[in-house]
Amino acid sequence: MKNNIDRKYELLSAYVDNELSDLEIRKIEEDLKSSPDLRKKLDDFKKVKRITSSSVKIVKENPFFETRVAASIRIKEPFYLKFKKFYPLTAIITLSFIIMVILKYNPGIINNLVEKQKSNIAGFYKQNLKPLLYVADLTNEDIFNFAFYHKLPLDSKRQQYLYLSSNSKNGNYFEISSNRQKISDNNLNKFIKGLNLNNSQQKQVDSLLARYADNLQSQVLVNEKNIVAINPNIWNFNKALVADLVSFAAKVNHGKFQNIFPTGDYSLYPNAAMPQLVDKVNSASNDNYIFITPDTIFSDSFYFDKKKFKNDIKKFSNQITKMNDNFAFNFQLDSNLIKFNNFSSLGNNFKVYMDSNSFRINVPNAIVPQFPMRGFDSIASKLSKAGDLFRMFSFNFPEMNKGKNFYYKYFYSDSANGAKFKSFNFDSTFTFGNHKLDKLYGKNFKNYRFANPDSLNKLLKFFFSDSTAFNQKELQEEMLQVQRQLEEFQKQMQQFQKQIPNKSVTPKTVKQIEI
Amino acid sequence: MKNKKKKLELTQPQILNLDDDFSLIKRFIDGDESTFNTLILRHKEKVRNIIYMTLNNHELVDDIAQEVFLTVYKNLMRFRFESQFTTWLYRITINKCKDYLRKMKIRSIFQSFKDSEEELGYSPSTDEADVSEIVREAIKKLPEKLRIPLLLKDIEGLSYQEIAESVQCEIGTVKSRIFRARESLKNILKPFEKELL
Repeated sequence: MKNNIDRKYELLSAYVDNELSDLEIRKIEEDLKSSPDLRKKLDDFKKVKRITSSSVKIVKENPFFETRVAASIRIKEPFYLKFKKFYPLTAIITLSFIIMVILKYNPGIINNLVEKQKSNIAGFYKQNLKPLLYVADLTNEDIFNFAFYHKLPLDSKRQQYLYLSSNSKNGNYFEISSNRQKISDNNLNKFIKGLNLNNSQQKQVDSLLARYADNLQSQVLVNEKNIVAINPNIWNFNKALVADLVSFAAKVNHGKFQNIFPTGDYSLYPNAAMPQLVDKVNSASNDNYIFITPDTIFSDSFYFDKKKFKNDIKKFSNQITKMNDNFAFNFQLDSNLIKFNNFSSLGNNFKVYMDSNSFRINVPNAIVPQFPMRGFDSIASKLSKAGDLFRMFSFNFPEMNKGKNFYYKYFYSDSANGAKFKSFNFDSTFTFGNHKLDKLYGKNFKNYRFANPDSLNKLLKFFFSDSTAFNQKELQEEMLQVQRQLEEFQKQMQQFQKQIPNKSVTPKTVKQIEI
Repeated sequence: MKNKKKKLELTQPQILNLDDDFSLIKRFIDGDESTFNTLILRHKEKVRNIIYMTLNNHELVDDIAQEVFLTVYKNLMRFRFESQFTTWLYRITINKCKDYLRKMKIRSIFQSFKDSEEELGYSPSTDEADVSEIVREAIKKLPEKLRIPLLLKDIEGLSYQEIAESVQCEIGTVKSRIFRARESLKNILKPFEKELL
């Protein structure tokens, strides 16, 4: 409706300007006769037109205007003014041309600049890198734990550890976190006792470990800027150390060796004179390191001069000892990065998973050098199994069973007092991941009765809300499996108790693991 | 058929008449530059008035008019005789004014806020102000797209067709804009209804 009225008023305005066709004029004049409102509107338009026309001052004439224009036409425009409007375009074209010429004759200039900046930053991070062995004051026990627990302390106070591992799903990866295997101490001693080694044999073990310790010096470097540089060959060192230790154990006391490694195929160590693999692995080392800084991870070449470092230590031992006392390594990530559960470091294909307690870095397989021994891959899985068995042995070693609330004996035999029951399948329990189980034991373990499913449930809940975010699903499935097995085991034990006569019976043939 | 004849009647005399704009331009193209002076003399006041009405500033009139005629001089050789010379001339004039207003707008961004407040705070006093001044201020308050067609119509007396070509829009748009300009002007001048309307 309003639009119609507006259109009518619009026509009325044009009528005042005498801009309508004959037909429109006739139509509007008819409407005007019948509508007083329209007549009033027409008056308004006429008044507005009148006051508009009359109000505007006509500008004063300028008799010299044409002379002025003629003069300006005669004045030749300066040359540079003709091109004034092209100045920005000319500048852009010139600049582009200069850049093209530079790139034509120096095609790598941009890359060089970027690389220079990168190497400057990398150079800053690489300054004053020292072997972890020296800074963290590693012992033979630490080297031994590196073999079977894949961990190396990063500081002398043993607050942070570097954990190495690899699996088929994630490939090689390492983690930096606080110590999570508090109960797995004194393992070297257990190994020695388990094998019943004499002094001479102990020295051989020490010598073996010392040799690895020496070689590991250049594999993990740290500095006061909280930088950790890891040579990817360290995974091979780990495998070689396990192989050498297992080989040594089989060689030195085959009977006792069965106690430590009760299951598994030992045919992989038939040669008692198997050479130490450390030299072979050492030959595969290259100068490529993975640098972990609080704000980035990158892979770059770095040459660590071990001899020079040793000489420096000899020369400046006093000063270095003082410096070393002041140097407290404490790796901390940029707190802003923690909110990202995982991210890929630029260009390096490193996958990083982190939370507030630890972080894990998946290392591309291509970075890790090939193990320098043909056919070693087929042995590797068996060595992994051997590692699992040693951890099981270590955990059940009599010294560990001192706690009041934890009573669990590992029955080597499947018979007790003539009664038979299925032996608990430890293999399946431990193969799911000894790290995780160790972590379970490490956390306030005494408050839980291991064989009590209710307590175990609490324990599981406690851990599922912990920082194992990156493995939670996998761990959850495996822990539920453990839970089911434990429940079954408890039932069997209860059934077994019913079968035992009321009077106390001293079993004659209960045989514990002989250590 | 009738229409064709009418067209011929309209166009032929224009070419034949030596005094009209087209013949002057033809002579200019043929090399007689003195005819350009005649074109200036003929149209300078209209151009100056349009500039004055659009910009409402005496001092700028001659400078911008000079720019208009210089542009005409540079491009006259390429004139295509498809529309009236005045339509082309007014279009150049309005475009020059728009260019100036655009520059002023950009410049005003950098002016202090205080200055613009003072400008906005203008309120004419009815007792002392000249009636024409009040109307001029009211016209100034109209948006540019309404103000120019209104002034071209009411002051310069251009037809809707000429205005449409000058401001480069449809005739219907010109009709609508002039109507809206008058409605707005009436609303602005409502406080002075008794004195003016």
